[in-house]
Amino acid sequence: MKSTKFWAVLIAALLAVSLAASFLLLNSRSGSADAAVYQNGELLRTIDLSRVTAPYSFTVDGPAGVNAILVEPGRICVSHADCPDQICVHQGWISNSVVPIVCLPNQLVIQITGSARPNDIDGVTK
Amino acid sequence: MKVSVPLSALLALLLLASCAAPSAAGGQSHTVTLLAMDTVMELTASGEGSEAALEEASALIARLESLLSVTDEDSEIYAANHSGGAPVPLSGDTARLLEQALDLCGDIGGALDVTVYPVVRAWGFTTGRYQVPEEDALSGLLQLVDHTRISLEDGVLTVPDGMELDLGAVAKGYTGDRILDLFRSSGVTSALLDLGGNLQTLGAKPDGSPWRIAIQDPVGEGYAGVVEVENKAVITSGGYERYFEEDGVVYWHIIDPATGCPARSGLLSVTIVADSGALGDALSTALFVMGRERAGDYWRSRGGFDFILLGEDGTVTITEGLEDSFSLYGDWSDHELEVIRR
Amino acid sequence: MKRFSLRQLTYMAVLTAVALTIFVLESQLPAPFPIPGVKLGLANIVTVYAVFVLGPGPAAMILLARVLLGSLFAGGMTIFYSLAGGLCCYLAMLVMRKLLTKRQIWVASVFGAMAHNIGQIAMAVAITRTPGVAAYLPVLLVSGILTGLFTGLCAQFLIHRLERIPFRRQP
Repeated sequence: MKSTKFWAVLIAALLAVSLAASFLLLNSRSGSADAAVYQNGELLRTIDLSRVTAPYSFTVDGPAGVNAILVEPGRICVSHADCPDQICVHQGWISNSVVPIVCLPNQLVIQITGSARPNDIDGVTK
Repeated sequence: MKVSVPLSALLALLLLASCAAPSAAGGQSHTVTLLAMDTVMELTASGEGSEAALEEASALIARLESLLSVTDEDSEIYAANHSGGAPVPLSGDTARLLEQALDLCGDIGGALDVTVYPVVRAWGFTTGRYQVPEEDALSGLLQLVDHTRISLEDGVLTVPDGMELDLGAVAKGYTGDRILDLFRSSGVTSALLDLGGNLQTLGAKPDGSPWRIAIQDPVGEGYAGVVEVENKAVITSGGYERYFEEDGVVYWHIIDPATGCPARSGLLSVTIVADSGALGDALSTALFVMGRERAGDYWRSRGGFDFILLGEDGTVTITEGLEDSFSLYGDWSDHELEVIRR
Repeated sequence: MKRFSLRQLTYMAVLTAVALTIFVLESQLPAPFPIPGVKLGLANIVTVYAVFVLGPGPAAMILLARVLLGSLFAGGMTIFYSLAGGLCCYLAMLVMRKLLTKRQIWVASVFGAMAHNIGQIAMAVAITRTPGVAAYLPVLLVSGILTGLFTGLCAQFLIHRLERIPFRRQP
């Protein structure tokens, strides 16, 4: 049986390593961007845009039809929608958390939640 | 037990540590995101009473929406629009806002008219089923566009039969103003409201620096410029927000009340920086209809606000008040910047 | 199945109740992490204690009972995270049991908490299908080590006091 001192030292070391890793990860996270897809307020899925290697798309069904969502490394957009006003499609790509993509008829909201917004901007008027 | 004292000390320390961490990380800035008035709204407040103030703000938004909505059958506006010309009493908020809006319409002389709703509907912007209306239909509808025929006396509103009022052009700005009044009286010292793209601020950022508000690039993905403000509303109107294309021509939702057609004044977007959200909201639409020349003249004669115009030719025009706080950004950095002076 | 004495069964029932209570109370605390269902894992101290004092069999039963009942109270995705966390903690205990003495149970608690966190993160990655979630592991480990240390020391303290009382399982 190892002595108590051995275990105490081991635990202290593990704690130190975890703390260090936490700081490192918390800082580097400002580069990553998670896109959260909500429908009617419910989170459907979260996509880590910084880990996307190849473009892909998926669809979401809503009261006004279907939204086709296209995901590329670092950005996301609604490529096609059945809704009448097409505002979500016209909005194009988003790559930071400053502005979400919204399709009201389908109650769809795509919001990037990582702190990937340019640090020097507090809001966007549009 | 020989280790009891250091053990208890260690336990106490751990307890303290686990309590301290959450409260230190808690911070004072709170944000609420909600869907209202047909758009996404995000309210951020810092300072004492922020959380409670935000909750009250959410309730306020819901209340104002129910009063002002032009499509909600229970709203006062709807009642007035469908009263067949009969007088309808209004509650304080609705009356106040309508008075402000009607005064502005009169002041602006034609570029802004809250009775333009039937025309906007004819183009399909209210339902999303876009279409280019027939000329005869349009001239018929233009007869119904005349804010001077709206009567508002002692809080009683009379909308002539056939005409329809829509406060959509000022509702969000007014809501923002009311929310900031609420915040001020609640002790909130710093706040940022994003009401569907309308930005309004209270004070400076919690760290004392001014809020940096970016202006959406009307033709690209990023931003055209950044303006630094404290205690101001920054509101933009532009055709790029809602439009459709037919036979190669682009038609957008900002209608010139004089012609009944999308305003084509050579501008891509207008951003107003003002103390009041309602004013900013109204002027951003009006100046878009006016175009650069008329906008400059209007500003010289009236003052009390500043603007940033992004022209179709790529020129950026700003009023002298923004010279030190505005800067071009990204793709627009090398565009021509013109400063208008009195 | 091994027959338990009435005393043992009562002991196990009491421990299950304790674990459940801790679990329910813990659910009332504000979630420190943005993943719904991921918990601090304070109830694992009972698993740690049970493995060392009662043995692997009874400890497993207590764990299963607590997870099933707890998920009834908490609802949602909790059962998956509780199961993953609890199971990993339990397995870690089976290993630590061979390496530690009864005076080092607090050490076991720390490793149990770490194992619990690893299990929860693994489950979170599987459920949300976002490998990015694993980035929370170091932060979770820090909180795990600290809470494991805290509950472990409390338990150790308690055990020493309890040993003075002539009440234990039958030989």
